[in-house]
Amino acid sequence: MFGYVRPYKSEMLVREYEQYKAIYCELCRQLGKEYGWAARFTLSYDCTFYAVLALSVSGARVKQRQGKCAANPLKKCNYLPSEGEEYKKAAALSMIMTCHKLRDNVADEGFLGSLGARCLLPFVSRKAKKAEARYPFLGAAVKAAMEDQRLAEEEQGGVDRCAEPTAKMLSEIFRELGGCQKSLCLPLERFGYFLGRWVYLMDAADDLSRDLSQGAFNPFIARLGLGGKRELTEEEQKAADEACNGALNATAAQMLPALHLIPMENFGPLVENVVEKGLPEMQREILFLHVTRKKRKKEKLFS
Amino acid sequence: MTDPYKVLGISPNATDEQIKDAYRNLAKKYHPDQYADSPLKDLADEKMKEINEAYDAITEQRKNGASSWDGNRAGGYNPVGNSGRSGFSDVRSYIMSGRIADAEQILNGVPPERRNAEWYFLKGSVLYRRGWLEEAKDHFSRACQMDPGNPEYSAALNQAMNQGTGVYGGYNPRANMNAGGCNSCDMCSSLICADCCCECMGGDLIPCC
Repeated sequence: MFGYVRPYKSEMLVREYEQYKAIYCELCRQLGKEYGWAARFTLSYDCTFYAVLALSVSGARVKQRQGKCAANPLKKCNYLPSEGEEYKKAAALSMIMTCHKLRDNVADEGFLGSLGARCLLPFVSRKAKKAEARYPFLGAAVKAAMEDQRLAEEEQGGVDRCAEPTAKMLSEIFRELGGCQKSLCLPLERFGYFLGRWVYLMDAADDLSRDLSQGAFNPFIARLGLGGKRELTEEEQKAADEACNGALNATAAQMLPALHLIPMENFGPLVENVVEKGLPEMQREILFLHVTRKKRKKEKLFS
Repeated sequence: MTDPYKVLGISPNATDEQIKDAYRNLAKKYHPDQYADSPLKDLADEKMKEINEAYDAITEQRKNGASSWDGNRAGGYNPVGNSGRSGFSDVRSYIMSGRIADAEQILNGVPPERRNAEWYFLKGSVLYRRGWLEEAKDHFSRACQMDPGNPEYSAALNQAMNQGTGVYGGYNPRANMNAGGCNSCDMCSSLICADCCCECMGGDLIPCC
């Protein structure tokens, strides 16, 4: 995942914001505890969302407690530990996904471009192996998605074909959260499918102009009839953004009914905020306000 | 039975108006139309039933039998139904019973020269259920082109198109999402307006214009 699954802060209650932050900090702590201090750098909003969803579905009993922040010794943080495995799974997912992302970078980019990734890979890959051994289903789901993605791009597949691997991956990972309760697994599976599809499409839409100028593969290029173009005029860009937004909206329209059928115990409002407010806001920022990646990275959710 | 107030997510001392509001919101959320083409249909129906029962139980309890609102409770909308003269009745029954893979296998076995408007519609329906929304839309519009007068095909296409607008989820650029939105454009035009007003009365807010 790519950091697109974020809450929309302005629409959160202060209490919800604090809960989200405490879950974020707890996941960071868990990463440090299980995979070493450097693993904390893999912390992402995506894996935090997974932890929030896991906690909501399991209805785990959590109790807030205060502690020192790992990154800044002068700061105090609230943590929200759980007795269940939610954070452990989220931490493992974070390691596994980071490892696959680095491998992808090494494979795609030149020697110099991937130098950073090359240096990090041995460390991350060792930790990811540990994570995979603990949660084989996570490792299998991510690995299958990466392989299928390569295949889809080699085939020069359409938008739907290319979105399938990510969609399937989240669908499997989310289904596992339901255990063996069918009435829980079904909506989780469906929700995961469309969230994964949304993430993939958002990433593809975000990369469209860069891929055009570099001549790289992007499923939207063929879909919107932009083949052979290097740059887009302002009007073409606007039309492309509208079209991408349409595809994302259609996906969101399928995601919401599935989400509403997932019974959630404690953090339902957080999950709803992310899906109903956070994702549309991301579409707006990227496709209509054209906030660049760099700027988005700088913009902090937490103060 | 579970507490009907809990099902509707309200407190037992909510007013009748609040109960109605809660029921209406939930009924909208779980309305069968939203799940017509989804494998989650049964779950949604169950949930809807639970909500209806809870609402009925509460109104009964409050002896408010003459509740004027009976809502839009039943009546699912499912684009694939039994059509009188269908060349693909087996495919239709597979789709209706949720056996999407079987339906797709039969459809893929149809040679290209026999692929008519109905074939494109059914293939679109299969793709739609699998979540391949973009190709589903293409197939529906192909079906509509080949048979423009068919209400079944155009309803499916309309539904697929409407979901792209952002009204059912996602971001709708034509609706103002920021409450009390105030961007730099608004500020400039307001300033110019204020300047004009001042000038009418002999004053001046922005001396250079």
